[in-house]
Amino acid sequence: MEVEKGKTAKYLRDKREVSQDLKDNLKIFNKIKKEILEALKEGDLTIDQLTQKLNIPKHEVVYYLMSLIKYGFVQTGEVDDMDEYFSYKLKK
Amino acid sequence: MKIEQEKNISFDALVVGGGIAGGEAALNLANTGFKVLLIEKDLSLGGKMIMLSKVFPTLDCAACITTPKVSEIARHSNITIYTSSEVSSISKIAKDNFEAIVIKKPRYVVIEDCTACQLCEEACPISVSDQYQYNMVGRKAAFIPFSIANPKAAAIDIDNCILCGACEKVCPTNCIDFTQETEEYRVSIKTVILATGFKLFDPVLIPRYGYGVYKNVITSMQMERELAPTRPFNTVLRPGDGKVPDKIAYVLCTGSRDATIGNPICSQICCMYSIKQSQLLMGALPMADVTIYYINIRSFGKGFEEFYQQAKGMGVNFVKGKIGKITETEKGNLILRYEDINEGIVKEEEHDMVILSVGALPNQDASKLFKGEELQLDQHKFIYQSDLLGSPSKTSIEGVFVAGTASGPMDIPDSILSAGSASSEAISYLIQNK
Repeated sequence: MEVEKGKTAKYLRDKREVSQDLKDNLKIFNKIKKEILEALKEGDLTIDQLTQKLNIPKHEVVYYLMSLIKYGFVQTGEVDDMDEYFSYKLKK
Repeated sequence: MKIEQEKNISFDALVVGGGIAGGEAALNLANTGFKVLLIEKDLSLGGKMIMLSKVFPTLDCAACITTPKVSEIARHSNITIYTSSEVSSISKIAKDNFEAIVIKKPRYVVIEDCTACQLCEEACPISVSDQYQYNMVGRKAAFIPFSIANPKAAAIDIDNCILCGACEKVCPTNCIDFTQETEEYRVSIKTVILATGFKLFDPVLIPRYGYGVYKNVITSMQMERELAPTRPFNTVLRPGDGKVPDKIAYVLCTGSRDATIGNPICSQICCMYSIKQSQLLMGALPMADVTIYYINIRSFGKGFEEFYQQAKGMGVNFVKGKIGKITETEKGNLILRYEDINEGIVKEEEHDMVILSVGALPNQDASKLFKGEELQLDQHKFIYQSDLLGSPSKTSIEGVFVAGTASGPMDIPDSILSAGSASSEAISYLIQNK
């Protein structure tokens, strides 16, 4: 069967089921992404401040925040006076 | 599975493994006019070396050495490369003739048509752990493995793809193809070079070090990524809370010289890569204190002792001590309880980040490849060298040679030397059996 170029995802969708776990993971990522971006709309925040707002473990904030930097949504701001913690802001 | 029987697929040599040793061996064979099939299980050539920041003892940029070589391999007219592929079996069908079955997994991208524009990455809604950054940051399900990957082309992580088709919609060259299937090739070859490399020790197997539980205990490969120009964070940070560390400890011999975890031998690289990283850390974080806890420093190679002394001169603190246990404080700092070997007493010291210098373990996959012939392993499960002193590349099977760390732990220059030896033996074998 000839499948039109650029429309091949449907071909595999008909043959292969997408697991509920994958859909759930996507929902979690979208939720955390939205929460981080909403929080940063109010101003620059450190990881500690984001942790308090989001109520998720600090290491998860680091992971998701760094991923959002990689994806181009967030950028690194200034470091504090002790050169220990950076603040983060929305990418304009 | 779609069985693709290519009618005339035959090569002089099969090289299993596209790391620095396999690549070097393939290049030597190709430069002398032999046709080579190079099989790499990953999405890119380059093996572990392409992921490194710099190399010891020269502190040359690893990517600057690896990428031109990988590019030369990829462009060579005598080398055919299959990435995302594995050899499932090799049979000796005549004195100087082998038959290999190669399984090529679908990438879901036509490599030749991909321009690496990354629009598919932008469009993909999925985020999963990036294995090329040792899980410290996410990546998309439609992704380019890493910036200096070769081939530099996108791939679809089908196990994490929701088949939404967003990548296809934005692809300007229509190179994404979800109709691709696994292919099987039957390949005739005259000689085989095994360059299957080594595996890194998983420190989860030493629970008292807290890896995986304490987020500021990381492996040396994770630190290698933090120090690389294509790093996961903007600078060196603690994964536990994003703090810039200022008191860093290295625990040498994690998973090496330790019979309790089944690896009694020295990995030969950990002392020097830890010393290298300590020097890079002193450069990246000038105010940081770096302490290396060691049993013995094995600075045996050319320029290694000078490199060790240079680290001492830069202020790296060396403590002859064996770590018993690591515990975590409320602030995420780590308390190292250790035996000070010189003083013969147990001490404790607090650090804010710990790097476990993980050792090299044998990759035993190659031993299962051969049908009808036994590829012998040595007592430590690396590939047995049947004539270690006379012809170190020879294995227990005539016509099959070993290159690089598949035969035992070694550093990059020794891997390349070993690949030179293996390719010379293979060339000699091919000429003798013409």
